[in-house]
Amino acid sequence: MWTRIKRNKGMWLLIPMLLWIGMLFVLPHVKLFMLSFMDRRSGAFTLHNYATFFNKSLYTKVFIRTVIFSIITTSLTLAISFPTAFIITKVLGQKFKALVLMAIVLPYWISELIQAFTWMVLFRETGVINYFLQALGITDHGIEFLYHNSTIAVGLIYTSLLFMIIPIMNSLDTLDDSLIEASYDLGGNFWSTMREIIIPHAGPGIMVGSIMVFMLNLGNYVTVTLLGGKNSLWFTEAIYNQFIVRFNQNQGAAFGVILLTFSVLFVWIVLKITKQDLTEAM
Amino acid sequence: MSQEIDVSLVHVTKKFGELVAVNDVSFDIPKGSFFSVLGPSGSGKTTVLRMIAGFETPTAGDIYIGGERVNDMPPNKRRCNMVFQRLALFPMMDILGNVTFGLRRRGGMSKDEMEKLAEDALARVGLKGLGKRKINQISGGQQQRVALARSLVLDPTVLLLDEPLGSLDLKLRQAMKLELKHLQARMGTTFVYITHDQTIALAMSDTIAVINQGKIEQIASPEELYRRPATHFVASFVGENNRLLNGRVTRLLDDNVCEMDFGGIPMVGRAGDNLKPGDAVDLFIRPEMILLRPGKREGGILGKISEINFDGSHSLIKIDLLESSRPLALNVKLQHTEQAPEVAVDDVVTLSWRWDAANAFHPVDQSHIEKEA
Repeated sequence: MWTRIKRNKGMWLLIPMLLWIGMLFVLPHVKLFMLSFMDRRSGAFTLHNYATFFNKSLYTKVFIRTVIFSIITTSLTLAISFPTAFIITKVLGQKFKALVLMAIVLPYWISELIQAFTWMVLFRETGVINYFLQALGITDHGIEFLYHNSTIAVGLIYTSLLFMIIPIMNSLDTLDDSLIEASYDLGGNFWSTMREIIIPHAGPGIMVGSIMVFMLNLGNYVTVTLLGGKNSLWFTEAIYNQFIVRFNQNQGAAFGVILLTFSVLFVWIVLKITKQDLTEAM
Repeated sequence: MSQEIDVSLVHVTKKFGELVAVNDVSFDIPKGSFFSVLGPSGSGKTTVLRMIAGFETPTAGDIYIGGERVNDMPPNKRRCNMVFQRLALFPMMDILGNVTFGLRRRGGMSKDEMEKLAEDALARVGLKGLGKRKINQISGGQQQRVALARSLVLDPTVLLLDEPLGSLDLKLRQAMKLELKHLQARMGTTFVYITHDQTIALAMSDTIAVINQGKIEQIASPEELYRRPATHFVASFVGENNRLLNGRVTRLLDDNVCEMDFGGIPMVGRAGDNLKPGDAVDLFIRPEMILLRPGKREGGILGKISEINFDGSHSLIKIDLLESSRPLALNVKLQHTEQAPEVAVDDVVTLSWRWDAANAFHPVDQSHIEKEA
């Protein structure tokens, strides 16, 4: 009883956060939701904006491309992050651990925009890499490294690495080393220990990291448009075009709702399939 | 004499950088015996176990399991299994999953056969039918049993136990202690048990190796260890002991019996360490081996009772020696039998003991000795 009262008393501390969420997240989304069902000129109820998405194959194709691309980059990020997180938590000594972690975190002190611009300096036809390639005589003309799918992937993986590594590290940190030894003692080898002990234990961390990275990739705009240019064909670009270039807020809102609905559904389905609990994973 | 040897360490040394954790250790463990390695924390006992299991490689010397040299054999290939100090059960699996883990790694068996073997192993440790439970749904004592079953189901040549009873409360520890001994006797598997708890080692073992600062002090049966400690360390570490310090050897009565002088009082005891007349000496006497007679009697040492601590089946009585030139005191454990004399504080009593109840050694630097309860 006492703790109950005590607990309720602290509730007002949540007010600032609720205000922020309410005004900057809930309200805009309600407005977005309403806009998406309105006719551009008359403001009357219509499903036209959604129909456009499904009827024009360009939009559905861009959407599907964005999703599949995000799934691939998320998987690649996971493939790079898991061994890194494992080595940091279980192999390296205290001193190197801090050093490697620092090397991973430091780049995130620079904004994503600046990062993207530096890569443009590196990758473009007259950029740093081309300069060295030509100086070494490997090629005699400038190669355009920008505006390829692989460039977009490189950028996306880079900007989201940290968000995968940290949750996996957290979950691996709580894995008692004697469990790994016990597995070996009972006849396990590297792969069976990975499969039966380490990955199941790190499951929640892998889940959290993957969800976060997938969302970040799906909703990325800066890295994708700067590195991919006009060819990036990313769904956020389609939303941007509707709002800013074509002044069609209602169409843009419908795209936004579609992206949001899909993201939520996708995460829910993945959690169901992998039998993970969202509260446990978070 | 041609007893089969399951585990053999031959001049094994392990260094971690500058630190010598295990220093030239050799011993043989006969097949089917319960062998304990007893020592204080930091004595190197865990390193010995981890070398047998294969988690550490000796810096020098050889390790044999079942007659085969295993120095370069990884842990997953050795015919020995370990019960870890913190058990290291796999929380991501149910009990049956834990117990079949080793069988699944070994392969060559159908799922049904594996589960049958696992059920048998669980039944042996008294957990019949609990296979579907999760690890966090069972008690600490049951977890101990799962850890045992998980190793025993693989029918190892040697079972290594790294003080697994340490985390249990006293009552459960006593019960598990007996159960473990019975299990070992029934199965005939060689057990190697690491502990700092001498009561556990004394109660369960066929043979105990006492280790201190990486060196073996004595390898003997529990009774031998208790009655005839070979070194100063063993005498002070194993069991309760009165410790009289800095006496002097006056003469040798026999090869292994000496007479000593402590504060002007002559005492006898077994002479360890090749004691010579004139040597400085420490004397250890078991409190329950001292005969206490009320009043002043012939042939004994006079003392006055300063304290009586009642402890159920016995009392621990502290006695100040009356005729010594410096303050000396002995503790006597008096069993509450029908013949036990009635005593009270300030009573004058006469103390005596057989020569072989007391063990004399050269004094050692006391700062190294760490006695744990």
